[in-house]
Amino acid sequence: MVTILMSLIFTDRRMALKQISSNKCFGGLQKVFEHESVELKCKMKFAVYLPPKAETGKCPALYWLSGLTCTEQNFISKSGYHQAASEHGLVVIFLWQVRNFKQGASDCIWFSKIELTYNFFFFLKSVSAFAPICNPVLCPWGKKAFTGYLGTDQSKWKTYDATHLVKSYPGSQLDILIDQGKDDQFLSDGQLLPDNFIAACTEKKIPVVFRLQEGYDHSYYFIATFIADHIRHHAKYLNA
Amino acid sequence: MDLHSSEDRLQIFPEENNRLRRETVQAEMSHEPMEAGEGQAQRDLQEEVDELVHLYGLEDDHELGDEFVDEDRMGVPMYPPYGMKRREPTREQRDWRLGGEAGAEDQGYTGWGTAAQSQALREAYRYTHGCASEEYECYVIPEEEDEEEAADLFCVTCRTPVRAVEKDFDEHKEHEVTPLNKALESAKVTQAVWGLCPGQSHCGFKGTVGKQSQCCLQRRQRRGALTLSLCCSVGQDEIHKNMYKLEQQIIEMENFASHLEEVFITVEENFGKQEQNFESHYNEILETLAQKYEEKIQALGEKKKEKLEALYGQLVSCGENLDTCKELMETIEEMCHEEKVDFLKDAVAMTDRLGKFLKTKTDVEISAQPDFEDQTLDFSDVEQLMGSMNTIPAPSAPVINPQAPNSATGSSVRVCWSLYADDTVENYQLFYRPVWDNLPGKEQAEFTVTVKETYCSVTNLEPNTQYEFWVIAQNRTGSSPSSERAVYMTAPSAPIIKIEEIRSCEEAVLICWESGNLNPVDSYTVELTQAEAPAASGVTESVVGIPTCESLIQLQPGQSYTICVRALNVGGPSARSAPATVRTTGSYFPLNKATCHPWLTISEDGLTVIRSERKSLTQELPPHQTRFTRCVAVMGNLIPIQGRHYWEVEVDEHLDYTVGVASEDVPKQEDLGANGLSWCMRHTFDSRHKYEFLHNRTTPDIRITVPPKKIGILLDYENSKLSFFNVDIAQHLYTFSCQLHQFVHPCFSLEKPGCLKIRNGISMPMHATFC
Repeated sequence: MVTILMSLIFTDRRMALKQISSNKCFGGLQKVFEHESVELKCKMKFAVYLPPKAETGKCPALYWLSGLTCTEQNFISKSGYHQAASEHGLVVIFLWQVRNFKQGASDCIWFSKIELTYNFFFFLKSVSAFAPICNPVLCPWGKKAFTGYLGTDQSKWKTYDATHLVKSYPGSQLDILIDQGKDDQFLSDGQLLPDNFIAACTEKKIPVVFRLQEGYDHSYYFIATFIADHIRHHAKYLNA
Repeated sequence: MDLHSSEDRLQIFPEENNRLRRETVQAEMSHEPMEAGEGQAQRDLQEEVDELVHLYGLEDDHELGDEFVDEDRMGVPMYPPYGMKRREPTREQRDWRLGGEAGAEDQGYTGWGTAAQSQALREAYRYTHGCASEEYECYVIPEEEDEEEAADLFCVTCRTPVRAVEKDFDEHKEHEVTPLNKALESAKVTQAVWGLCPGQSHCGFKGTVGKQSQCCLQRRQRRGALTLSLCCSVGQDEIHKNMYKLEQQIIEMENFASHLEEVFITVEENFGKQEQNFESHYNEILETLAQKYEEKIQALGEKKKEKLEALYGQLVSCGENLDTCKELMETIEEMCHEEKVDFLKDAVAMTDRLGKFLKTKTDVEISAQPDFEDQTLDFSDVEQLMGSMNTIPAPSAPVINPQAPNSATGSSVRVCWSLYADDTVENYQLFYRPVWDNLPGKEQAEFTVTVKETYCSVTNLEPNTQYEFWVIAQNRTGSSPSSERAVYMTAPSAPIIKIEEIRSCEEAVLICWESGNLNPVDSYTVELTQAEAPAASGVTESVVGIPTCESLIQLQPGQSYTICVRALNVGGPSARSAPATVRTTGSYFPLNKATCHPWLTISEDGLTVIRSERKSLTQELPPHQTRFTRCVAVMGNLIPIQGRHYWEVEVDEHLDYTVGVASEDVPKQEDLGANGLSWCMRHTFDSRHKYEFLHNRTTPDIRITVPPKKIGILLDYENSKLSFFNVDIAQHLYTFSCQLHQFVHPCFSLEKPGCLKIRNGISMPMHATFC
């Protein structure tokens, strides 16, 4: 998976890769790279955690698609995934998204994320999410973003909407874990709409365990609390 | 036999010598009566001559016959000429004119001197030496005459050595003659006759065919040396062979001698013992007799005294009477001389007195009989003692052994005892009776077995029961006292494994059983055989010394075991119980029927829990210690091992159910998950599926998009976790982090009519290991 990712970067993006930092962490290495994005015409960074096991053999990779106001530094310093990743021997790749969108960082992140989710449906064995925007077509953020990127044709929007995507999901085995803080203001604001996604999955019999975590908000404290569950969730499939 | 014929042709015996010899013989014989018994005819001439040699050389020697052998052997060097003993009668006539008296007796036995003569001589000699004639039967005649001139030729025809000077004499004239040493050589080659059995040819010489075999046998034994001297060059191997034989014989004799010595000692001992025995008996009888004597003498003395006293008394009274009579007589006489007046006066008084006296009867019977009254003496005890003198004493009490370990079965014991070495026992009577601790006063029947051995296997006994044994030894004289009583115990009955209550997991099995015995046993042994182990197939491990009727046994995961149980007591182990098979794949638990809510039924295989349609929750049941009364639930009996346990439950996706774990003492009148002692997943269906993961009445808010039809439950003591899975899609549903301070058991509840199917004894799926 690591090599697949690398080939994606080198072949599609056709750019030079520069290592920004490398820190030992839980026996492994946390590295940050930078590259020029040809398409976006800006510098992009991404982070890779190599577990100790990677020194001696191949390891499966877990992709982290960040959202909202996340940066690679936020993720690698706050989410606390290292220990679990080190234990399970997973490479964790942080794909950080574009910065210079007009619409602002947080909006486009979800767009990208959903896009990637869609694209990788056929590659991935498991998916998990923390407080995702599950049905952007129907939420204010989504409408704003899709209008900005895709125009007003709402039928185009649906191809970037997870809830709509699962309805046409071809049905290969997938196990989805979603944790949602119950005190997440975006949840009560109707921005995330997980119920719609759950209903769609129930209808399509796509296995989802949705955990509404009492008292948690939308912060990294919430993520750090349940990150180990998520990594274990993926490890089950990646190590199987 | 050509040997014979050749011998017959040879005669070179010098008459002079014969005569000389005969004269001597006759001189010896003269004072002996002639004897010519029939058997003598067959006498070996040779022997007789031997004896003559002795007579001559050892006339005054009165040693016993043993020495004769040696003496004969001494005579052996003179042997070579002996072949000339056989002669034709015609020639004999000529040679033995003086000995013709008995010559006709045996034609082949006409050497020098008649048979009678020789026999007489022989007898004479024998008498002188006090020996049996048989001893000499086969002795060879050493021909002392020939000592003077050794033979140097050999007459082949007569088979006789001949002196060269005699060559021209007599029969040998026409005979073929060869030098003696050459003849020896050829004889050696021709046959081993000379070497093997000089007697054979020798016997043939004399024609005493009837005696031949005996002669040969004896000769063979006694005259080995003769052979050697005869055919000195016959062969070293013969010598060695004979020496070897002799050596063997010596060894045999030595062995026999040592055996005899042993026998001697034994005889001495036995006789010593017997002597002692007799002596003690003798003393006893003497003592008894002496006592009898004393008693009798005393009794007689008393009797005598009594009689004498009586007689004396009678004598005294008799004397007194006599005096009175005399006095009366005198008085009457006096009165007669008195005057008539006085007479008349006194006569009246006198008449009265006389009348009175006469009236008194004089006792003239003898009060005591002088003769000795016949008094029988009671000798019965002496007789008994005398009788017992020749018989063996009654045996003393045998010593009964304590029970040997592992010697009993469920229905038999082997009882052993020992006797004193001196005792002679014909048989033993073994008595026994069961010992019932719980039935005092009730005397049990006694049983008796008679055996000849000092052990007995007593059968048909009750298992796990104590029996008291004692033994009496018997012989012709009587019975011994009883031995001490020994308590033996039969082995227990085989236990019965409660197969339906076996619990197992990957590492262990908890097996329980019924004792199968009314009385307690000492312990139990569990025997394990790994059923499908290729390397160690058939190896049985045993867990011993289990005090109770259950045992938790560590096992290897993923194996199949055959398990048997035995009960043990001092008598030994019972037979094996019926076997149970245990597989250490996953965890296996039976349902605990004691906890089962009355509305639930458990299928025959114990794996399906059913709540039927009719039941409803309208009626509240009274609280119960072990039985669920509020939720319609049942609990399983999981093995108390702090490892990982996995089981699955098949459910209908629209059924309302609760599955999870609970402590054994979870409040039974509460719902599962409504307290700190239970952790459960509850499903309710009311237009939509609702899944709760309950502990202490609280649940996380969890939505599950695909309703599970098969729920996997993983109880992990090591990590203090309880996880639930949708087995079909390998989906992790929820994990409790629970601090388990005590063992918990699976529990199953049905809130609506329907059924749950439990699958246990299955391996944990891979996906479950990542929780």
